[in-house]
Amino acid sequence: MPSPQAPTGTTPSGLRHSRDTLRRLTVGAALLAAAGSAAPYTATLTPAAPQEIYLQVGVGAFTNNYINGGQPQVNATVNTVSATLAVGVVGNGTAQAMTTNSTAAQSYWDGYTFCTVPAQLYIGGFFRTTGATTAAAQVTATVPANLTDTTGDSIPFSQISWTSGGNGDTTANGFLPEVFPGGKFVSGGVQTVGSMASNTWNESCWTFSYANTVVTAAGTYTGAVLYTMTAP
Amino acid sequence: MMSIRRFASTFFLGAALTIIWPAGARAKTVTIDDSGSQALEPSVTMRWKSAAPSRSAAGNVMIGTTTIRVRINVTPWLHHSGHIYLALPVQKPGPIGLSWITQGRFLPGQVASGNRVLVYAGPIASPFMEDTLTFQFSVNGALMARPVPVTYHFEMDEG
Repeated sequence: MPSPQAPTGTTPSGLRHSRDTLRRLTVGAALLAAAGSAAPYTATLTPAAPQEIYLQVGVGAFTNNYINGGQPQVNATVNTVSATLAVGVVGNGTAQAMTTNSTAAQSYWDGYTFCTVPAQLYIGGFFRTTGATTAAAQVTATVPANLTDTTGDSIPFSQISWTSGGNGDTTANGFLPEVFPGGKFVSGGVQTVGSMASNTWNESCWTFSYANTVVTAAGTYTGAVLYTMTAP
Repeated sequence: MMSIRRFASTFFLGAALTIIWPAGARAKTVTIDDSGSQALEPSVTMRWKSAAPSRSAAGNVMIGTTTIRVRINVTPWLHHSGHIYLALPVQKPGPIGLSWITQGRFLPGQVASGNRVLVYAGPIASPFMEDTLTFQFSVNGALMARPVPVTYHFEMDEG
């Protein structure tokens, strides 16, 4: 009879192979485990409420100049721009320079004296957003139809225009091309007076002028223009 | 004579190899197991470095800080000397800056993505090395439209 154990003569060898294989598998698994545990550490960078918006027309408020770590603040002051006409020149077509009660001459960016007061009104701002450059933020002016006095007389807002500039206002000096250009009020309308690219500081100085082409009764005529910044 | 010549040539070849070999040897770099590290915050909150931007749109940097209890397994190099680096690979979303301060076990430093910086050089006396590192990441805000994972690792130069 053939020995029933003959086939089993290979068993030890087979077992040895199996053990070797098992050992290799074990080693392989250990290496894989080691490789897995040495994976690089991952930190997730999450932008947190990064959007900010700031508009200043006339005086504003910063805790300090930007380059010194200043933070924008809220300033509810409403500045005026005005002209006082002598009786003899009313309506003669000679434009009259207007002045402001704003004291904002310096840029909050670096403290540079950018505007000349009281001849000029400061306007500036920025908006912050993450990601690639977006569409520009728009600054609009909501303009009443007229300036009025207490007796109901009126002067069209379109009598007022402005030019734009600033001390040393050139690209070479680090200023952008004029983002708040000169213009003229549109009576009773909403008009765009400037735009700001994202993540840039924008500023101009406006010099207002009264056209003086209408003859009205003596009095104090007032009207308020509301400036609104809308960011995408 | 012939055998002497052969001996001599073998000797000089051996000597030449002995001289050349060390010069040709290159340090092997191995990523260190840092699976024992723990972040104290789940994510790194990125904020503008400055509230207001610049006139030129430059310098729109966002920064974020996180503290991590670093624990690296240096068992394979126990009782040897080693050079440990912190490496910040090139990765999305783009150029990344990383600086850190330590409690003293590792060296403080800073690194830009694509580079590494030495944080320890000396004997490896224990199986694990631990320190608490405060990291500050800096990234251009234009690259930060959404949360992004950033990886770094510690590595050992062997040899």
